[in-house]
Amino acid sequence: MDRQRFDYLLEAYGADFARWPDGEREAAAAFAAAHAAELTEVLQAARALDAALGTRRVEAPTPDLLSARILAAHKRQRGAGLDWRAAAALAACAVFGVALGYGGGLLAPVADDGDYFASAFETPFADYDGDEG
Amino acid sequence: MIDPDADLVRSAGAGDAQAASALVRRHLPRMVALGRRMLNDAAEAEDVAQEVFLRVWREAPRWKPGAAKFETWMHRVALNLCYDRLRRRREKSDPDAGLYVADGAASAGDAWLARQRVAKVGAALAQLPERQRSAIELVHFQELTNIAAAETLEISVEALESLLARGRRALKAALADVAQDLIGDADGVPRV
Repeated sequence: MDRQRFDYLLEAYGADFARWPDGEREAAAAFAAAHAAELTEVLQAARALDAALGTRRVEAPTPDLLSARILAAHKRQRGAGLDWRAAAALAACAVFGVALGYGGGLLAPVADDGDYFASAFETPFADYDGDEG
Repeated sequence: MIDPDADLVRSAGAGDAQAASALVRRHLPRMVALGRRMLNDAAEAEDVAQEVFLRVWREAPRWKPGAAKFETWMHRVALNLCYDRLRRRREKSDPDAGLYVADGAASAGDAWLARQRVAKVGAALAQLPERQRSAIELVHFQELTNIAAAETLEISVEALESLLARGRRALKAALADVAQDLIGDADGVPRV
């Protein structure tokens, strides 16, 4: 670390060495300690700007409503994923059901049309007591 | 490269509500703060933060760690959303809009002075070119490492340092009186 490098990094990152590149932090602190007197002015100016910027630190609490909206969006997205799977399962069931119905229809015993006709009128006529006035 | 968010992103992408909640707790305040500083508007900052997370939920199922850290990607998305909004409107005449000054115990005079300072710093930041402003946002406020900030802006570390230095030089000129006041406060020197 030399003065030129120190000034270059100070201009970019400010007076807080925590913001300086990992590999140069220790060397910078050592250089600053070794040249404290000659660096006083530039470090003070950098600290002043850091402090001015510090006034813009936003400490507003994050609204609960915003978190809730964002998490609701995640739930909806997850729901949409489940709906897709549910729709696929439903479609598979429908295909199976149609196939089963079609196959079952073929396998079921088929009565004569005459039998259907007779049975259709059997009960009403049996219940009818013949009272026509 | 270890990404501390990778597991959470993967789980949230698979529909884990607790993972989604943890990501929101970890990153939402920073996204809102970034939006507020970049846009000077609390409502717009919340819109931006929400949009960032909607994109996270959309992309999370396909997230593949390794290319970029999640945090880097997230900051990039947030900054791009801010750029879009800044391009769509002029900076508001009141750069202090929506800002919260955390100084409830201060006297009315001190509170007024604090608001003035915040407004002045906000105005000076707003005057910076977008890239310089973004570099300062990422390094100074979001406290990303220089490598992460450079990745976020898709530039080299040297280019990042150049943006930072130019930004800070412009701010130093614009904020000389504010900085002097703050130094005076710290030293116990009365303000005029």
